[in-house]
Amino acid sequence: MDAFLGGMAILVDPYILGMIVAGTVLGVLVGALPGISGSTTTALLLPFTITMTPTAAIAFLGAIYCAANYGGSITAILVNTPGDPSASATAFDGYPMAQKGEAGRALGMSAFASTLGGIFSVFVLIVAAPLLSRVAYNFGPPEYFALAIFGLSMVAAIGGDSAVKNLISGAFGVLLATVGLDLTTGVERFTFGVYELSDGIGLVPVLIGVFAISELLLQATQLHVVATMLKLDAVRLPSLADFRKCAKSIALSSGLGTFIGILPALGATTAALVAYNETKRWSSHPEEFGKGAIEGVAGPEAANNAAVGGAMVPTLALGIPGSSTTAIILVGLIVQGVRPGPHLFNEQPQLLYAVFASMLAANLLYLAMGLFAAKLFARISLIPSAYLWPAVFVLSVIGAYGPNQSMIDVGIMLAAGVFGFIFRRFGFSPAPLIMGLVLGTMAEETLKQSLIIFDHDWLRFFSRPIVVSLFAVTLAGFLSPVVMKIWRSWRAAA
Amino acid sequence: MSEPSPVLDAAGRRHSDVAAAAVVLALAAAAFAVTFTFEEVPAALMQGLGAEIFPRLVLLVIGLLALVLAYQARHRAPEASEPMPPMVYSTAAAMIAFFVGVWLVGMLASMFVFMVGVGRMWGEKRLVRLVMAAALLCLAIWLVFVKLFGVALPHSVLSERIV
Repeated sequence: MDAFLGGMAILVDPYILGMIVAGTVLGVLVGALPGISGSTTTALLLPFTITMTPTAAIAFLGAIYCAANYGGSITAILVNTPGDPSASATAFDGYPMAQKGEAGRALGMSAFASTLGGIFSVFVLIVAAPLLSRVAYNFGPPEYFALAIFGLSMVAAIGGDSAVKNLISGAFGVLLATVGLDLTTGVERFTFGVYELSDGIGLVPVLIGVFAISELLLQATQLHVVATMLKLDAVRLPSLADFRKCAKSIALSSGLGTFIGILPALGATTAALVAYNETKRWSSHPEEFGKGAIEGVAGPEAANNAAVGGAMVPTLALGIPGSSTTAIILVGLIVQGVRPGPHLFNEQPQLLYAVFASMLAANLLYLAMGLFAAKLFARISLIPSAYLWPAVFVLSVIGAYGPNQSMIDVGIMLAAGVFGFIFRRFGFSPAPLIMGLVLGTMAEETLKQSLIIFDHDWLRFFSRPIVVSLFAVTLAGFLSPVVMKIWRSWRAAA
Repeated sequence: MSEPSPVLDAAGRRHSDVAAAAVVLALAAAAFAVTFTFEEVPAALMQGLGAEIFPRLVLLVIGLLALVLAYQARHRAPEASEPMPPMVYSTAAAMIAFFVGVWLVGMLASMFVFMVGVGRMWGEKRLVRLVMAAALLCLAIWLVFVKLFGVALPHSVLSERIV
C-alpha cells in the first residue's frame, strides 16, 4: 500500500507532472505528424531522458507512448493520413465522417474511445503485471530462453506483411546483438578492430537510425504528396446516442486491444485492425462501415490505446517487449540502470506504481487536449517537409551523439538509417530488427547459462514443463499457417 | 520463339524477393566466414558455448529463412518497381557531407548548412525564412545541449587551426 501511495504521489510532484504533460503534448503532436510515429519519437527522445531520474524518464516515455496513439487519429480523420500506423484503421471511417462535415463528432468519439480503452488497459496492467511477475518469479535461465524464443517468433507478425521477411529482420537484430565482446570468453565478435564496438552496438544510435533516418530517406521519395486538411469548426462531445451506439464496440475493442497488446511483439496497429474487423462483424449495420460509421472510429481507437497498457504487461513483468515502442522504453529503463522483470516488483514497486499513475494521467490529459486543441494539433501535419525532416535529422544527430559524445555513434546511426531504408524498400520492417536486438542478448545469455546448468545436455530443456509449453506455443505459431493451408486445400478438394 | 515466363519480366528479372533473398544469403555467408576469424579460446579456459556458436546458429537461421523467401517468390511475377527518386541520393549525399562537415567546420555550423541546404533541395524557396528557422534550431541546440547539459560538441579542423 505504501508503494502504491508512493507511486501515485508522483502526480503531485511538479517535476514529474511537468514531464507527463510534456510527454503527452509531444506525443499528441508527433502522433499527428505523418511519418513520425510514437516509436520514432521515443527513439529520438530516448537520449534526452538519460539526465532524468528513472521515474521521470519512464513517465515521460510512457506519456509519449500513450498520447502518440491518440494523436495519430487526428490526422487520420482530418487529412486521411494516419499520423501513427496504429491509426490507419481509424481513417477507414473517420475520414468519410469528416468529408460529411462530421469531423468534430469523429474527433470527439476518438478522444473518448481512446481514453476509455487506455484507462481500461492501465487497470488490467495494474492487476496483470504483478500476477504475471509472481508466476515468472521462479523462472530460471531455461524459462527465460524459451520466453525470448517465443518473443522472437512473435516478430513474424509485426511490421511488414511477410512473416518470413519479419523473421529475417528479427534474426538480423539478434545477430547485431552479438557484436562486441563475448561475456563468457572475452572474445571480440564482428568488431573489425574498431575499439568502440567492443561494448557492442549502441542501442540508441541504431534505434534512431532505423526509425528516424530511414523515415527521412523514405520521405525524400514522397515530396510530391501534399496534405490538405478538411474543415473543422470545433470538436464536439459525442451524444448519448453515439455512446449507446459505440458502447459495445468500445468494450469489445478495449478487451481485444489489451489482449493483443499483452502478446509479445504484437502492438497497437494489429490491435486496431483486428478490432475494426471485429467491430464490423458484430455490428448490427456492417454496411455502414467504410462510409462514415462512428463505431468504425470508436473500435480501432479504443483498441490501439488499450494495446499500450497491454504491451507494458510483458515489458515490465518479464522484460520481454510487448511492441516496438515498449522495446525502446525497455532500452530507456536499461540505460537508467533498471532491469525490468519479476524482481522489479519486489525491488522497486514504487517505480512501477509511478508508471501506472503516469499512464493514467497521460490518458486523461490527452482527452482534455483532444477536446480543446485538436484543431491546433491537426495544423501540425501541415508543416512543410522541407522544414520538418532536416530538423528531425539534426535532432537525431544530437540524440545519437549526446549519450557517449562520440561521432562513431553518429556514424552508426547514419549507417543504420541507410540500412533501414534499403530494408524498407525491399519490404522488410525495422520493428522486428529492434525486437531482435533487444531480445538477442537475453536469448544468448540465457542459452549459455542454461547449458551450463544442464551440463551441455540440450535435451534437458525438455525436462522443464514451462519450457516445453513455451516451445510448444512457439512451434504452434509457426506451424498453424501451414496446417491451416493444408486444411483449407483438403476441404476444397473434399 | 518461346513465350516469356510469367515469373520473369520483359527484362528477364524475377520478383524482387528473389534478389533480396540472394543478398541476405550472401550477407549471412560473409558473416559466417567472419566467425572463423574469431580468436580461439584455449580448451582449458573454455566454459560453456564458444563465442562463435550462437552467431553461427543465428546465421544458419537467416540463411534458411532466405531460402524460404526465395522459394515463396519462385512463382510470383515481378512487381513493377518504382525507380529510386534522385532526391534520395541527394539527401543521402547531404548526410555524408554533413559528416565530413562536422570534421571540417564543426557540428553546429554543419547542422545549419544541412538544414538550409536540404530545405532548399526539398523545395523551400523562401530562403530568409529557412535561414531563420535553421539558425533558431541551432541556437536552441546550443543553449540546451552545450550550455544546459554541458555536452561537448566535436572540435573542427578549422577551429583547431585558428586556435
